[in-house]
Amino acid sequence: MRAMYLANYFVAGCIASSFLGWIASLHPMASRAIAFLLAALGIVWTAAWLLDYSLSQFLKISIQQLQAVLVSVLAFLIIGLGVFLCS
Amino acid sequence: MLLKLIVLSSASLTLWLVPLVGLDKNVGWHKGIQGASLCAAVACAVTAGNIARKQSEQEEIEAIKTRAITADVIDEISTSAYISQQQRQQEAEQILNPCEHLERSLALSCEDNERSEPIAQTQLAQAEQNGSENGESERAERALQLKALGWGKAKIILEVWGVSKGGSPKYKAAEAEYKRLMQEEGGE
Repeated sequence: MRAMYLANYFVAGCIASSFLGWIASLHPMASRAIAFLLAALGIVWTAAWLLDYSLSQFLKISIQQLQAVLVSVLAFLIIGLGVFLCS
Repeated sequence: MLLKLIVLSSASLTLWLVPLVGLDKNVGWHKGIQGASLCAAVACAVTAGNIARKQSEQEEIEAIKTRAITADVIDEISTSAYISQQQRQQEAEQILNPCEHLERSLALSCEDNERSEPIAQTQLAQAEQNGSENGESERAERALQLKALGWGKAKIILEVWGVSKGGSPKYKAAEAEYKRLMQEEGGE
């Protein structure tokens, strides 16, 4: 059941990424905003990956859990945007 | 609950993939349907995730309860086993080391004997004295009754003391006692 709820949240992240792509396709300004949002998210993601030890202590989770979250965020962003762009 | 979870999960996947693949992005109303279906798919996925998370937490709680019950049972069994082991150990010690109990019981019996022996001897002497006094008085009463009836000395001695007339020491002793009793009665 734990795997099922993790998979559902992962699918929700993928769908949310596709929804961001859909918003970006509505208007050029929206695409710029989404691009800015994705760039900010990329910076935060890289910083979190580099500062994983301090961040894990701050969030009171293990480094493995933090890295798993970061990898899954990257994965559902790639999958969601990839599904939207390829469809 | 599991069926609802499966339906929501499959609905989220369907609402995510089918409109994106099947509808044209260049058509306006197709694009609108795509956006709506994506929103609905996110909602379905999040709802399914929440339901699955609650189920998972309940399973964890049940697992904790089961572990606690199992630990209680194991603790109870181990406690009872420990107590029974102590009891067996005490019984074994009592069986294997009876010297102390024997010494205690012997000491108690010796003390009882030491305490009770003088008392018993005194009681026995008193009983014997009382018995002899009672027997003497009974013989005296019987002899006086027989004498009052007119019996002779030899016949009274034969009746009361059970000794026939002759020169035997028993008869002499009985005759002496008869005379003494008669003198005592005569003196009184």
